Amino acid sequence: MNSKSETDEASRGSEASSSNSDPTPESSQEESTPILCADSGPNNTQDIMKRAAAKQLIERYFYQLVDGCGNPNCDNKYCASSGEARNLTPNEAAAEAIKLFYKEARLCDSLPNKIPRIEACRESSTGNNTTENSDKANKDEKNLESPSSSSSPILGGNSKAETSQSVSPIDYKNLSHNNGAPLTEEKIYELCDECIKNKSPEALISAIARTFTKPLILARSFIKVDNVSNSAKEDKQDKESEAMCSSSDPDKDVDSASGPTLDVASCRRAFEYLSKVPSVHYSSSFVIILATLAEYLQLDMRMTKMLKLDDIINCFVIAFEVRDLGCSDYLEVALPALCNAAEHLPVKGQAKLARIWGEQCKDSLRHILETLQQLITLRVISTNYTAGYQLQDDQNVTRATKLMKIVYYANMISGIMESNTLREEPVVITNQLDPLGDALDHLYPLTSIKNLKQAQPEDPLAVELGINVLDARKPYLAFEEFYNEPLSDTIEMDIDFANYKTDISGGKKFSFLKYPFILTAATKSLGLYYENRIRMYSERRVSLLHAVVGASPPMPFLRLKVRRSHIIDDALVELEMIAMERALDLKKQLVVEFEGEQGVDEGGVSKEFFQLIVEEIFNPDYGMFTQQPDSHTVWFNPTSFETEAQFTLIGIVLGLAIYNNIILAVNFPMVVYRKLMGKKGSFQDLADWNPILYNGLKDMLEYVGDDLADVYYQTFRICYTDVFGNNIFQDLKENGDSIFVTQDNKREFVDLYAEFLLNKSVDTQFKAFRRGFVMVTDESQLGSLFRPEEVETLVCGSKDFDFNELEKSTEYDGGYTAESQTIKDFWSIVHSLSLEDKRKLLQFTTGSDRVPVGGLSHLKLVIARNGPDCDRLPTAHTCFNVLLLPEYENKDKLQDRLMKAISYSKGFGML
Amino acid sequence: MAATRRLQKELNDIRQSGLKSFRDIQVDESNILTWQGLIVPDNSPYNKGAFRIEINFPAEYPFKPPKISFKTKIYHPNIDEKGQVCLPIISAENWKPATKTDQVIQALVALVNDPEPEHPLRAELAEEYLKDRKKFTKNAEEFTKKHSEKRPSD
Repeated sequence: MNSKSETDEASRGSEASSSNSDPTPESSQEESTPILCADSGPNNTQDIMKRAAAKQLIERYFYQLVDGCGNPNCDNKYCASSGEARNLTPNEAAAEAIKLFYKEARLCDSLPNKIPRIEACRESSTGNNTTENSDKANKDEKNLESPSSSSSPILGGNSKAETSQSVSPIDYKNLSHNNGAPLTEEKIYELCDECIKNKSPEALISAIARTFTKPLILARSFIKVDNVSNSAKEDKQDKESEAMCSSSDPDKDVDSASGPTLDVASCRRAFEYLSKVPSVHYSSSFVIILATLAEYLQLDMRMTKMLKLDDIINCFVIAFEVRDLGCSDYLEVALPALCNAAEHLPVKGQAKLARIWGEQCKDSLRHILETLQQLITLRVISTNYTAGYQLQDDQNVTRATKLMKIVYYANMISGIMESNTLREEPVVITNQLDPLGDALDHLYPLTSIKNLKQAQPEDPLAVELGINVLDARKPYLAFEEFYNEPLSDTIEMDIDFANYKTDISGGKKFSFLKYPFILTAATKSLGLYYENRIRMYSERRVSLLHAVVGASPPMPFLRLKVRRSHIIDDALVELEMIAMERALDLKKQLVVEFEGEQGVDEGGVSKEFFQLIVEEIFNPDYGMFTQQPDSHTVWFNPTSFETEAQFTLIGIVLGLAIYNNIILAVNFPMVVYRKLMGKKGSFQDLADWNPILYNGLKDMLEYVGDDLADVYYQTFRICYTDVFGNNIFQDLKENGDSIFVTQDNKREFVDLYAEFLLNKSVDTQFKAFRRGFVMVTDESQLGSLFRPEEVETLVCGSKDFDFNELEKSTEYDGGYTAESQTIKDFWSIVHSLSLEDKRKLLQFTTGSDRVPVGGLSHLKLVIARNGPDCDRLPTAHTCFNVLLLPEYENKDKLQDRLMKAISYSKGFGML
Repeated sequence: MAATRRLQKELNDIRQSGLKSFRDIQVDESNILTWQGLIVPDNSPYNKGAFRIEINFPAEYPFKPPKISFKTKIYHPNIDEKGQVCLPIISAENWKPATKTDQVIQALVALVNDPEPEHPLRAELAEEYLKDRKKFTKNAEEFTKKHSEKRPSD
């Protein structure tokens, strides 16, 4: 009896949905959603509640009209089960449902809600469902349309028993009465195939819609099969406890009972399969489905709090696996809605999402990031921001940015992370007062400015995840991919900085500086510039105040007076005195005066001052730094005779340069900046520090033979050459000379080696250097805004290669002269290359893409003729910076060969 | 001084093996990082003499490759006037720390015997070698007689 009615109802359902062709039941019904909730602002919660209730009611009418209540003896003329209601198309049904809502027409009692209610229907359904479900399953095998078809047809015959055991009672209720079932990979395959075969997407869309509009069911889709029985058990417990105390906060037991494990790979495969179906069939419906899901999730997180955090996260993960909908509505409707919902995730949830994305959804990260970037770019470009409507007020952009932060951390998790134990000791500088706080008090009177002396607190998500960007050695996607250039170009940094620094009107002003990954280094440095300027002006203001009061005014500037002939000595003596007596003065605007010269420093003089200082200090003859011939970088001289104070002063100079926005021609390897930001050097840093040594060591790590000790014959004693050319031996361990490197301890050897070279051997010098740097920059946001790579850009500027200089200094050999046609063509090609290609050319001919100190003219490039025209590619002797160029017959061929050579030079065997 | 064990071992091995084409190995006991030796090629036109080379090992050997230079002048497309030679096996890109010095020397001897004009250091010699082998051989022989060292008698 029971089963008869089920099939009856089922076939009716299928008729209903197959009789109309274009709008699906779900879409037509969901279309009413935007109308209902169109102008619900975020604050009028009551309104939202009312609307939500109305919506639920209308949905109930709708389903009653379309599917019926399931009672074969139903006598309600508005119910499909009574047989009195005529068959309606979904559109008609939706219209009718709204009418019935206003009429307050009769609703069948047993009809379940759209949002599954847990306690209400429990008793009524559990009893007879078990039997009903299993024999129904057989009959309904093919009847996919059937709203009552549970998960049984989804799985093959073998797993049927398992499934029926594993589905929790709650799910039974939903399955039997209503029309959603957790989706599985196989189910999607089946639906897609059917869709392609019948050329009608209704079955597919309604199945998806039914699942996606019920987060609880969606969260149980694509569950790992081997976990099914476990999770079902857990589910049962969860549900029982939830039923008992359904009012309690569902988040709180998240840790104790982790929900079913989502099989992301399976989910991804399913949605990939979906792309076989032409997207015109489903994309617009899918957008609405996703938007609806997002709204449910958001409402739940903000008010109803019925769902467990894990379930919400699962929904997000599944929702973001859907891709290539190929319609602009996704960017304009679905994605903003999802971002909006994600904004309400608690930090804990964000962290969970980041972990799942990072650990299991590596392949999806790029897609998620790209769509977010598209959304932001689209908004930024198409919106005209005014003083009244700033970029920071555009919630579409800010929410996408917030979601991007989760992707940002997921990206780090899925890349190579290092242990967070390798930290430089913090530098403590005492007795510093911050004038900025006072200044801002003047700027923004009557506002609550919190203690600005504290550096900006760490990002809560980073704290929750225990991740520091310094430890991200190699993120899965390059950090640069997170830059949004249109946004960086549009943003008003002064506004953003003000938002960053203050919590006017109770805080919550959005500032992109809290999401520094999206801003390019240039834009962020503008933020730093504002900070520095405000600080500097505040210094001046304070001294003006002193003048008014009559006290002797302190200098508003950091004034240096030096003799051109003794520039280093004078500068170091003066800076040393300032550093000892009034270190705070270092944060004032620098004004340099050369003795006996008239120039007033409006920036130009101090620029020259820095240039001269850097030229001299980094000259190897000066003895404080050494040149690394292999990488064209400078490094601390561990055997320097200079005192620590000298290195501190160099640190101050570097800090002053950043602080005063001056670019220096220093060529530190990246590890210096990483160390300055607080991360110790480790083996990976050798790649940049000394690539040849790094490759040699890496080769040993990759060596697999058991005879490593015999082949390498290497002990834990290493040798290095000091600046005077003496070979100095160093035991990396006690008795290092008698401990051989073997397969077992080679990693230890390499780590100790790197530790010695990068940290231990220059410990004194570097500590002093860093101290000086921190004295200038400690209270600025440098550390939280910039990654080490970006700090390098701040110090050195973008590495623009002056190839004109290189052309002038290049020599020719083998029959070429500067006047040869091939040479002329060569330079005209080279000058038109992109920066990236110039870098490659430099790498190809010299083995390093760094500019030697003093510029490219110090490279001593030689271009030699390598025979007449032929098909060979250009080659190079990186040992002597020689480029071998056959005399190609024309410019096009030269261009073609040259580009091939530099593009495919990796692993290019010579000779 | 406890020099690097690896180099000491390699030196002993090479000395014991008695290579015909590389002899007279001299190492300053105070600095095992610099070796000198005599290359004795078999092929014409270089079989009329012997050539002194210097091998400089970096302090970080074997993690960094050694450098080789000719102390005797040689008329060779792959060796420049200053005696610099670009040997792929010890180029920074190709270097494998497991490579032994005797392999390096064998590669060098092979290069001396059979020049590789496709990757010349002296382009004009390479062109002569390819276009007018006779002239090249004649020039090289004369150059060898004039500048090279005496070949060991045995």
